[in-house]
Amino acid sequence: MSTLGPWAATTARLLLGGVLVAAGAVKLPDPAAAERAVRAYRLLPEALVGPVAFGLPVVEIAVGLALLAGVAVRGAALASAALMAVFVTAVGSAWARGLQIDCGCFGGGGQVAPGQTAYPGEVARDVGLLLVSLALARWPASRLALGGRAETELADVR
Amino acid sequence: MSGETKREAARQRIAAKRAAEAAAAAAAARRRRTVVGGVVAAVLLVVVLVVVVAVQTHRTSTSADAAAPAGTSGNGYVFTVGRADAPVTVDLYEDFQCPNCKALEDSTGSTIDDLVTAGTAQVRYHGMAFLDTDANDDYSTRALNAAAVVADTAGTEAYQRFHDLLFANQPAEGGSGLTDDQLVDYAAQAGASGQTVTTDIDDLVFGEWVTGAEDQASKDGVTGTPTVLVDGEKLTDLSPAGLTAAVSAAQQ
Repeated sequence: MSTLGPWAATTARLLLGGVLVAAGAVKLPDPAAAERAVRAYRLLPEALVGPVAFGLPVVEIAVGLALLAGVAVRGAALASAALMAVFVTAVGSAWARGLQIDCGCFGGGGQVAPGQTAYPGEVARDVGLLLVSLALARWPASRLALGGRAETELADVR
Repeated sequence: MSGETKREAARQRIAAKRAAEAAAAAAAARRRRTVVGGVVAAVLLVVVLVVVVAVQTHRTSTSADAAAPAGTSGNGYVFTVGRADAPVTVDLYEDFQCPNCKALEDSTGSTIDDLVTAGTAQVRYHGMAFLDTDANDDYSTRALNAAAVVADTAGTEAYQRFHDLLFANQPAEGGSGLTDDQLVDYAAQAGASGQTVTTDIDDLVFGEWVTGAEDQASKDGVTGTPTVLVDGEKLTDLSPAGLTAAVSAAQQ
């Protein structure tokens, strides 16, 4: 493996970590909007809407911070891939059912006017991030990581 | 083999064994640290999750003493006009800033009002407010608050008149919205005037109620406006003919 691999993994970590932390952080200031965004998918019973709407940003931020810091990179990358898979499925199902909603990926969300939906772009972005997550889980060794585990993996690479 | 070489070989074996033991101990310690770190991180994550969910739940629960307008029916977010014994119920979910709602009101609004007057339909108005922007100074919320003030002061028929006035004079989407003064003027035209009406509109007295109304619409499964239900069935043809046909069918 070339010496560029670990730097590519670092880039992937910073990209995924940055996106996840940003996406989580913007959902915290307006919890009512977060609830409406989750409810608008019409996938969850009302009792689960609140916990998911409020818990999801915490998970996003936790996974994102682990990736940014470079701690438990493989686990965090798998968690990130799982999150992206859930998002793709949810947005795809909203699209397939003809709902007119914003994905609420970066705050906001809920219903939008007809013609204001952006499903292709939202799905394409999340699929892209899903592939980056999977690649990072396959080759987690990276530069500028705090976690000790990655250092030994890096040693194997060299 | 001399005694010297034997001792040397024994020393080497012992050194190699000690090195292996040290490496195993270090690996075990590393595993322990990983496990302990993982458990601590997991516990921390769960604690943060629980705290955040609790805090956000508290933040979203509408306080019991939030001001609610008089004259609502059902769940407290509906204004009903028309005879209680009307054979058909029409539910309208609208945002005062929504252009498609204005299109509905322009084409079919008079048909709706006629059905109410004839005693054929009872109309249930569900206000929504999701088109707030900085540019329109949260017009959707201000307009629905003003409508609630009108109903609170002068009853649901005044609400209906105010509702018709606001759609007839809907500000352009992306514009600055109607001013509070303009809302007060239309409220007076609809039959609600006085100093209380002015201050209640200016002070957004039912602001929290508006948030609750928006949540209620989302709980009702409404994800777009306008949404028209005829006896609970979603109407797809929103033309006067479409509505009349659906109402006739519901009467059968």
